[in-house]
This record gives sequence, C-alpha cells and structure tokens, in this order.
Amino acid sequence: MMRRNPGFWFALPLIAAMLLFFAAPLVIVVWFSLMPPRSFDLTTDFGLQNYQSAFADGYGPPLMWSLIGATLTTAITAALAWPTAKILHRHAGRWASIVTALIALPIFISESVRLFGLSVFLMPGGGILAGTLKALFDVQIGTILNTRFAALLGMVYIHFPFMLFPMLLGVGMIPADRIEAAQDLGAGRWAILREVELPLAAPGLLVGGLLTFVLCLGANAEAAILGGRAVTVITAAIEQRFNYAQDWPMGAALTVLVILVTAALVFPAVRRIDLNRIIRR
Amino acid sequence: MTKSPAALSLTGLTKRFGAMTAVDDISIDIREGEFFTIVGPSGSGKSTLVRLLAGLEAPTSGRLHLRGLDITAMPANRRPTAMVFQSLALFDHRSVGQNIEFAMKMKGVAPEARRLRALELLRLVRLPESYYARPVTQCSGGERQRVALARALGSDPEILFFDEPLSAIDYRLRKTLEVELKELHQRTGKTFIYITHSLEEAMVLSDRIAIMRAGRFEQIGTPDEIYRHPTSRFVASFMGEVNILAVSQTPAGPVFADLECAAPEAAGAFAVLRPESLRPDASAPVTFAATVTQKLMLGSRTQFHLRAGQAALIAEIAAGSGASLSLGETARFGFDPADIAWVQA
Amino acid sequence: MIGGRARNWVKVIWVCTILTALYLPILSVLLASLANTRYMRFPHKVWSLDAYRGAAADYTTVTLHVISLQIAVWVVLLSVVLGTLGAMAYARYDWRGRTLFQKMLVLPIFFPQPVLGLALLLSMSALGIAPSWKTAVVAHAVWIVPIVTLVISIRLFGYDVAQEEAAFDLGASRWQVAREVTFPALWPGIFSGALFAFLLSWSNLPLSIYTSGADTPLPLWLFSRTATNYSPLVPAIAVIGTFVSGLVVLALLLLRRVLSRAAN
Repeated sequence: MMRRNPGFWFALPLIAAMLLFFAAPLVIVVWFSLMPPRSFDLTTDFGLQNYQSAFADGYGPPLMWSLIGATLTTAITAALAWPTAKILHRHAGRWASIVTALIALPIFISESVRLFGLSVFLMPGGGILAGTLKALFDVQIGTILNTRFAALLGMVYIHFPFMLFPMLLGVGMIPADRIEAAQDLGAGRWAILREVELPLAAPGLLVGGLLTFVLCLGANAEAAILGGRAVTVITAAIEQRFNYAQDWPMGAALTVLVILVTAALVFPAVRRIDLNRIIRR
Repeated sequence: MTKSPAALSLTGLTKRFGAMTAVDDISIDIREGEFFTIVGPSGSGKSTLVRLLAGLEAPTSGRLHLRGLDITAMPANRRPTAMVFQSLALFDHRSVGQNIEFAMKMKGVAPEARRLRALELLRLVRLPESYYARPVTQCSGGERQRVALARALGSDPEILFFDEPLSAIDYRLRKTLEVELKELHQRTGKTFIYITHSLEEAMVLSDRIAIMRAGRFEQIGTPDEIYRHPTSRFVASFMGEVNILAVSQTPAGPVFADLECAAPEAAGAFAVLRPESLRPDASAPVTFAATVTQKLMLGSRTQFHLRAGQAALIAEIAAGSGASLSLGETARFGFDPADIAWVQA
Repeated sequence: MIGGRARNWVKVIWVCTILTALYLPILSVLLASLANTRYMRFPHKVWSLDAYRGAAADYTTVTLHVISLQIAVWVVLLSVVLGTLGAMAYARYDWRGRTLFQKMLVLPIFFPQPVLGLALLLSMSALGIAPSWKTAVVAHAVWIVPIVTLVISIRLFGYDVAQEEAAFDLGASRWQVAREVTFPALWPGIFSGALFAFLLSWSNLPLSIYTSGADTPLPLWLFSRTATNYSPLVPAIAVIGTFVSGLVVLALLLLRRVLSRAAN
C-alpha cells in the first residue's frame, strides 16, 4: 500500500486552493490574451494580435511609467531603510522595539486613508501644510500635488515598511564579529559595507527589494490620488481596457505583460533565496 | 643606555563600562618577537584588554604605543595588527582564498600578487593549495582555525592577537594546533599576544605569562617562574589541583592550622603544595595522619583524596611505586618543606 | 569613539524624521475630519465634530463596516484553517514536494495585487460569476493565506518534534498529542496569523477595487470619495474605520487573555 507522508496531506487543501484561485485565473488570463480583440468567449482561435497592438496602440508608456516608478521607489526606500535598519539593529532594546512597532503600525491602516492624508497634507491653499505655513509665518507655498513627483512620494511613503522589515531581518544576519574582523584587517567604512554587510544581508535586501518592486509595479492608488492626470500607470490602463473599452483580450494581454515582468524577476530570486533560513531565525 | 622600543607598550590602560572597571590601570611592555599570554577566568577583563589592543574598543584612559608610536586613537582598520577571533569570524560568504586575501584586497594589492601570497600562507598553515577556492563553510573545525590564522597573517601584521581561538576545540586537535602555533611563532618571528583561560595552554606556548584578575595583572613571569613561584593562592589555584594550607601563628611557633602540625620556616601566610609532593612517607620532614577518601587511577599516576584533621588534600603517586593504600585506610603522609611555594595572600 | 555623541544625535534625528513622515499624513486625516466646511480651509475657522455626527447618522457608515467586517471574518477563518494546515506542511513535516511547495507558496505574495484582482475579475466574468463581497474574500485570501502560513511557520521552526514523540512515549493518544502538545505550540502563531489576516483584509484596497463588485468595503469607498464628492465625512469615516479595527484587535487580545486564563 502506498502511504504518503502526512506533510503532503497537510499541504493539499492549500495547494488545491492556490491552483483554483491563483493558477487557474492566470491561465484564463493568458488564454483570453490570445483571443481575437473584443471577444468575450474562450475559444481555440488563438492569435497574437493583442500583443502586437499593445505597443502600437500606445500602451508602452504606461508600462514604462510603472517600471520607472517601481525602480525609483525601490531605490529610494532602500536608501532610507538601510540606515534605519542599521540603527534599529545596533541599538536593539526597548526603544528600538517601540520605534519598530510604530513603523509597522501604519501598514495596518488602509492605504487609501494614508494616501488621502498625504493629499490633504500637500493640498494647496487650505491644505494642512500650506494652511499651517500661511497661518503661522504668512508664507505662501505652491503644491506638488497632481505631479509625477507626488505619485512617487506616495509610493515611497506606502512601501517604506515593506522594504524596512525584510531589511531588518537581513541586517540581523550580519554577525558583529565579522564587521570587527574586517575592521581589524584594514577595511574602511565603505569596504565593510561592500565586502561584508551587503553580501551577508543580501537575502533580506533581495526580499525587500523584490517585494517593493513588485507591489509598486501594480500600484495605481498613488497615481490616482496624488498624481492627478499627470501619469497613467499600467494598472490604470488595463482597468480602462476592461471596464470602459470592454476589450477583455487586450486587457488580458497587458496583464500578461505585467505578469511576465514580475515572473522574470521573482522566479530567479525565489530559486536562489532560502526563505527558511531567513524565517528560521 | 639605549634600548629599542617595546613592540607594544601599555601605559595606565583603563576601560570602564559604566560603574564596572573591566581593565584597571595596566602598564606593561611587550618585547619584540615575544609570545605573551594573558591568562584569566571569564570576567577577568582579558577579552576587553585584547580588544583595546586591537583597537576594537577605545580605552577610557591610558596610552598605547607600538614601537614608540602612539596608536591610542588609531582605529582598528589602520593598526598594523591582526586578531584571530574567538568565534574566528570567518566570512562565510567567501572562499578560503578570498578570506585570506581580504586584508591585501583592502590595501589594494593586485589580484595575482594576492593569490601568490595566499597560496604561500596556505602552505604556512599546512593547508593544501586546493583549498584556495573552497567555500569556508565546507571546512572542518581545525581547517577553519588554520584559515583564520592565515587570514590574520595575510595582513602582514606587526603583532598578532589571539582571543581564545582554541577554546571550542576538542583536546587532541587543540594539542596539535598548539604545537603548530608555537612553530609558527618561531618561524615568523612576529610578536604574539594570546588570551586564554587555560594556564596549561599558556605554559606550553608562551615566553611570558600574565595572570589577570579583576582587570589587573596578578602576576607576570616566565612559565617556569609562575609554576615554581606563584605569588598568590589565586595564581596557584590556576594550576589545577593544588593543596593550599593556611599557616597560623601560635606561641609555640607557626603551625598548619588544619593539619595541627608545626610549620617550620614558614615564609608566608599560605603554603602551596603540589599533589606530587605529598607522599605516604612516614620519614618525610613533615608528617601527619590522613585517611584515604577516594582513589582514582589516572594512568601513569594514582590520585588519592585524603582527609587529615579539617583539611581535604590531594596526593599523586607514580603508578606502581608501592603504596597499595586502599579506601578508608589511615596512614602517615608527609612532604618536604623545600617543595612548598609560600604565598602571602 | 570620538564624535560618538554627535553621531547618536544624528541617529535620533533620523529616526524621528522617519516617524514624523510616517505619521504626518495620518494626523492630517484626523485634522481634516474636524472641519464643518465642504472645502478644506486649514486652519479651520470652526473646529467641530459635525462630520462625526453626520457619519453616525448616515447608514452608509454601518453598511461599509458590515461589508468590511464580513470580508475580514471570512478571510480570517480561511487563513487560519488553510494556514495552520499549510504551516504543518511548510515547517513541521519533511516530505518530498516540500521545497517546491515552499517556493510556490510565496508567489502570490510577490505578485502585484491590483493585477491579481484584475486577473480574478476577468476569469470570474468569463465563468459568469458576478463580483460581490464573496469574490473579494477569495481575492483577499489568495494574498493573505500565504502570509498567514508563513507567520505560523515561523513559530513552528522553533518547535522540537521530539516533544510529540515524548508524549506518545508517555502514553498519549494521537488526538491527545495534538491537543496537549502540537496545538499549544501552534497557538501563538495562529493567533498572530489571525490578527495579521484581519488587519490586512480590513485595510486592503488594491484587491478590493476590482473584485468586490457592488459591495463596497471601507477602503474602496474612501478611495472613490477622495477623488470625487469630497466632504469632511470622508476623513471622519476614515478615522472611525481605523478606530474600529483597533477596537477589534483589542477585543481579540482581550479574548486571548481570557482564554489563556480559563485554560490555566
């Protein structure tokens, strides 16, 4: 009699759910993307015309904006999170725990609430910042609201914790004596960062960077609330195809393009990272 | 009188952590090419001291000179010294070769020159050249020790520090590595400063030993001096199992209080007596009655645990040299006062 | 070290700046809700709680909370059941497909959420399923269940399987082992997992946008009202909604304390 390890049976419900609600929808999306334009049925009439027209019809720029936004956000949050993670790790204790908890807390406040807050803060005239400056110092300031920069600011604001927490785990993987050994052997501040800290913290950096990049790739609330009409991101373009243009195959093709970019980044990383090692600590 | 400056000169070196003084006003000169060992129990401040010397901690006060040059404020990465860490602190994300080349890479030595030197160092620490490209994570305990040593030597240091590097290694490997370390010291002629909690290890390795207690040096001397003339019970107790007998003054002259026998020519408040100096010999200059409470075979010797009056004593007799005493038996034991090391405290 | 004190000040200032930047927008929502004018003119001429009175009188407030709560409760239940089982497979047992299972499990986390929502919307439309709060539950679960599985797994990695063998050896039945040894070891992980699931579902916007159909959960309503038809009612409901989620978390923490006291 064949007996399977209990591990398999424990995994089975989760595997079934993920196949049904994650893998199957993706298959359907890919299928739809190969259908003739503006059709609503899944047939075997495959073709690549949606992909051909994706770039011809001007969907290149939204995809490009999303990629640029994701890249910039990843770089900026990383630059902000690294010193923060180093400080929190170095001075671990009660204060660091409180600060860490305070940074984590906003994750659980809806991003629509926080982005809305950022927009009333930045609003011209009677906004929180402009109004306060006017009332206290009689200074008139303009606004960055409804610009690409504002959308980027929102992305950095929302995704900072997603970069910080994996990075904290990564920084925690640097034993203090390795830094001392490098110092003892003549390494300066930059050499230590390059030769010891970054390689040892790499798993955490990779997870944080990947998470931030991927979340930003699909982000559209920031552009909608803060960016005004200054920028159209890929998600907004897909939504427009689905809902207003009623062109499901075209929307599906754009979705597949985003999924391909994501997969190209995520698959190699997931193959390399030993998540167990990061989590087990 | 001209004298070449000491390799390393400590002047009033002190380190406080809050109210705790880890290193308390230590001054000493360490000679060029010396193998100097600092022995102390955990918490004696020996690790803090070596971290001060390596530049990993800044002293609260005092100065540190390297061949006459004041290096007190020089950070670790600019000091021409290198340390072998207790944890070894090898870079697990790098290969054996990259570990050894680390300091050279920091100095900007060309890759090919680095490689040649690394291979040379591998030979010096007796590792095959094929280990060059091996990840350090695939090395055994002893091999990791050798890589750590080669890495420290790779910075071509004036002085090498060792922070208990052999403490986590099994007995046989430790003995092998001790011998190799000693040979390496002789071959390189560099100054070695070594930290350990084992006086036995210090005896094997060192030219000079400092016994450290509560942030201060209790005694400094050659292994022979320390062995023959410990200056305190603390130092004597570091030598493993020794008998310490308190002397008290009576109108009839000094006596060993616990043994209730006279202590002729007492030159200190306590007598330190090695187990091998105590014999079941009724004709010895000083004798007393003792009961055997335990008998242990130690291979070449037999160890007897004795009770005599208030005192618990240990005697060791070469196996086979008579004395077939059995458990519970009472016999006369004795020793020669010439074998006693007298200490005041 | 020289300059150690100055460096410490730089660190304190850095951390304070980060915290200020994170909380200023949240504070701004609170300030915005205390107005009674339709257009933001800060500082307010009149500071008032009118918006909260309005929100309390408006039935929309209740509807929004009920829909969000409905979704969150189902997501919590799904996450806890699937996540606990999944964590056993992830961290407790060694089995042939485990490495693959572990790697596949993180894929939904590393996936752009709005794109996931759109993909689900499209496939459900293709299958003729109308989007509603129920489809939103599914969408949330696809993203949240793997996270909860990881949260529970973290606890399980520190778990010594020999404890179960010891219990067997001491005469416990399979069921008793599960109840006396395995479950107590898992419980803290399950509890944190449930908290995570609730908070992540309650605050989620990107998955709800495309999958909740005519049922509007709280974050989605705020999102659409921010863009059009703004009034102080919007920040007021945002504050109330955040407050309610805090209350639910507090209630859960209290419940755990009561349960653990009852167990002792």
